[in-house]
Amino acid sequence: MGSVLSLSGIRHQRGGRDVLEIDRLDLAAGERLAVLGPNGAGKTTLLRLMAGLEAPTAGIVEIDGVRTVHADATLRRRIGFATQRAGLLSTSVLRNVELPLRWRGMGRSARRSVALAALRRLGVEHLADRPAPALSGGEAQRVSLARSLALEPRLLLLDEPAAGLDADARRSFLDDLAGLLADRSISVVHVSHRSDEALRLADRVAVLVEGAVRQLAEPPRVLREPADATVARLVGYENVVSGRVGSDGRVLLAGRPCGLRSDRPPCEVTVAAWATGVQLGPPGSSSLEATVEQVAAGPGRWEVVLAGDEALRAHLPLSQPPPEVGDRCAVSLDPALATLLAV
Amino acid sequence: MDAVHEVLWRSALVSLSATAIALLLGVPLGTWLALSRLRGRRLLATFVNTGMAVPTVVVGLIVALFLWRSGPLGDLELIYTLRGMIVAQVLIATPLIAGITMAGLQALPPELPDQLRALGAGRAQLIVRLWLEARVPLLAAAMAGFGHAISEVGAATIVGGNIHGQTQVMTTSIVEQVGRGEFGEALIYAGVLLALAFAINGLLTSVQQRAASWARS
Repeated sequence: MGSVLSLSGIRHQRGGRDVLEIDRLDLAAGERLAVLGPNGAGKTTLLRLMAGLEAPTAGIVEIDGVRTVHADATLRRRIGFATQRAGLLSTSVLRNVELPLRWRGMGRSARRSVALAALRRLGVEHLADRPAPALSGGEAQRVSLARSLALEPRLLLLDEPAAGLDADARRSFLDDLAGLLADRSISVVHVSHRSDEALRLADRVAVLVEGAVRQLAEPPRVLREPADATVARLVGYENVVSGRVGSDGRVLLAGRPCGLRSDRPPCEVTVAAWATGVQLGPPGSSSLEATVEQVAAGPGRWEVVLAGDEALRAHLPLSQPPPEVGDRCAVSLDPALATLLAV
Repeated sequence: MDAVHEVLWRSALVSLSATAIALLLGVPLGTWLALSRLRGRRLLATFVNTGMAVPTVVVGLIVALFLWRSGPLGDLELIYTLRGMIVAQVLIATPLIAGITMAGLQALPPELPDQLRALGAGRAQLIVRLWLEARVPLLAAAMAGFGHAISEVGAATIVGGNIHGQTQVMTTSIVEQVGRGEFGEALIYAGVLLALAFAINGLLTSVQQRAASWARS
């Protein structure tokens, strides 16, 4: 399959400061790329370049092999774009969805039926005659997405479309989005600073930090083998701490074995461990010890903050009695839920 | 009452014409000031905002100096004519309309132009959509422009000359009657002028408030 979207040699500056530097990034037909990064990493700028809303300071952005040119409406009409603010116009919901179809020269009756079908797919057809400004946040995002999908774009750009929604609305919106994109007729770039949102829809994840792609890989690989400590924190590792591989192959935290082993020669490493992989036991069962500093009930788990040789976070099953604040406990890491990163 | 009708008609003609021309000039200017990122935009915006506060008599004086028979535009023979008065009122109303248009468009969500572009809007489609989004302040701009034009007396007197049967309008007529001590006549003219302003602004307000309440419903 050929590339729907291709970026090469991208250098972009704003106010004399480098904000993006991407040597090569391609998106195949039907592929879904998540762009994950912290606030200020350049994610939205990258999306604006992809959408042809801004021209890069240097480099080439191509859609279907055609170089995008700033202000080229014809090329932009192959793209759907939904952002964290729904950006609906103060007219009826139906007219909001119909308008971009009208700009594409579609006749009245055809665009009405296409718009209604798009609203139906998002479960908001009953809102067609409502004024868009009167919609709730979740309804507005669905209408915004319907407006983009009605265009049957080659490429759909999503800029944190669920960012302004509460937890329930976000879950429901993302579930529906995943269902709508399941047939892979559209290539998707989904930008988010939340790893759970970014990873669930993606075939590949580009982790963007300070304007550069730190890692580009399939979600399981990024989760299992993050490129560095920043990527590990971004994908959700709750514990990212400094350690050392000893001469006997044991990994030491604060100079004490933590239950991990490595075949690397003695060296400094970064240990990334999921909180579910931090195991607590009675004092003396492991040489790494810590004091329980906080215990809180979280979604389906106890969330425990440990202080001591190394500050760590542990998630324990709710079925297990929680430790008390001030308890002293032995700590070890589950090798299946931890990884070593080069420093 | 025929005299009142004639002066009323002349006032409405001059002020509505001036407002229409000022809308044609002021709305695009205000739009450019709101959307452009070019150099000089802020300086021009400052001029426009200053223009909103310039006394009409000063505008009248400047226009008269240009239109005076020995002035740079004297050959146009516009001094003491309705067309000359329209020119003066256009200069009075345009900064007001441009300034309110600029503020109205800048009050829209800042990401809206890019979202419309991303949905495939061409330049003209984008601008028309933004005007429709800002229709409430744009109607306010039209009302302010008309209100300023119909109520001003300084420029009308200087540029029009208050010539009976030719350039006399409601405001200049009221000033003349007060000068002659004919307060009853002046009050009738004032009442008619207020009724005209109320009718036109009432119509625009009705359209404006329907647009505003629909968006809130």
